[in-house]
Amino acid sequence: MDNACFILELQSTPEEVMRAVERLQQFCREQGVAEKAIHALMLSLEEMASNVVNHAYQRDPSQCFRVSVQNRGDRIVVELRDRGPAFDPLQVPDPALEEEDEDRAEGGWGIQLVRHSMDDLHYVREDGENVLRMSKHSKPQTPSPGL
Amino acid sequence: MALDIQFKRTPATVTAQLAGSLDTATAPELQRQLTPILDSQVTDLAFDLEKLTFISSAGLRVFSIARKRLKERGGQTSFVNMQPQIKEVFEIVKALPGVSIFASTAEMDAYLAAQQRKHTGGTPPDPNGPIFTIDA
Repeated sequence: MDNACFILELQSTPEEVMRAVERLQQFCREQGVAEKAIHALMLSLEEMASNVVNHAYQRDPSQCFRVSVQNRGDRIVVELRDRGPAFDPLQVPDPALEEEDEDRAEGGWGIQLVRHSMDDLHYVREDGENVLRMSKHSKPQTPSPGL
Repeated sequence: MALDIQFKRTPATVTAQLAGSLDTATAPELQRQLTPILDSQVTDLAFDLEKLTFISSAGLRVFSIARKRLKERGGQTSFVNMQPQIKEVFEIVKALPGVSIFASTAEMDAYLAAQQRKHTGGTPPDPNGPIFTIDA
């Protein structure tokens, strides 16, 4: 089904991140997305939503962020919105292979995994929100029956 | 997406068997359970990932901490039975230099047995003696 979508408003906790990741997995399976693409999407959402929780909101559970997921027919688009300080995660460089500062290298692992996993990444600061859009191409398949 | 952690001891190695998901929500618990092992004198630590279906950078950070602590005392960290999507994460990030990766438990056991035979001195660990405890 084209343009099927869901939206979640999440509290800023690791458990809520995983709630969104599980919902994404369920949605993609219902939409007939291939397992490899589903895993790539789940990993990318986990990484970027964790960044929001850990950095934008400093693990403050009273803060909220939004995850929106849409099936646009040939791709799945995941959008992440938060009201934290302006921060473009796409400016974080991949860790250099011979990075001497190991802490800095570790800080880049998440975005490195997302860059490898997603087909398109786009960031914009809009109306006081950080908006990150990630998309993964997915061949149209017959959706599996709902569980 | 839960994580199940089981520890197994052989004379040569402590093995942590992980099942499920090692992610931003479950990584802290693994770190907590590993701490007494990392604080002990264990020199061979293996992670059996046969039943691990998901890992994120949060999990890699726990492995990285373990690798560094073991390396400080001349120890070795190994990973065995990785599913393809887990292996891919390791290969993308290249986060764990110097660790051993084994395709099967048999391969790892054979390697560790050969390593043990190379050691000419030192007392082998007592297989019946506890060297760490984990609070439930």
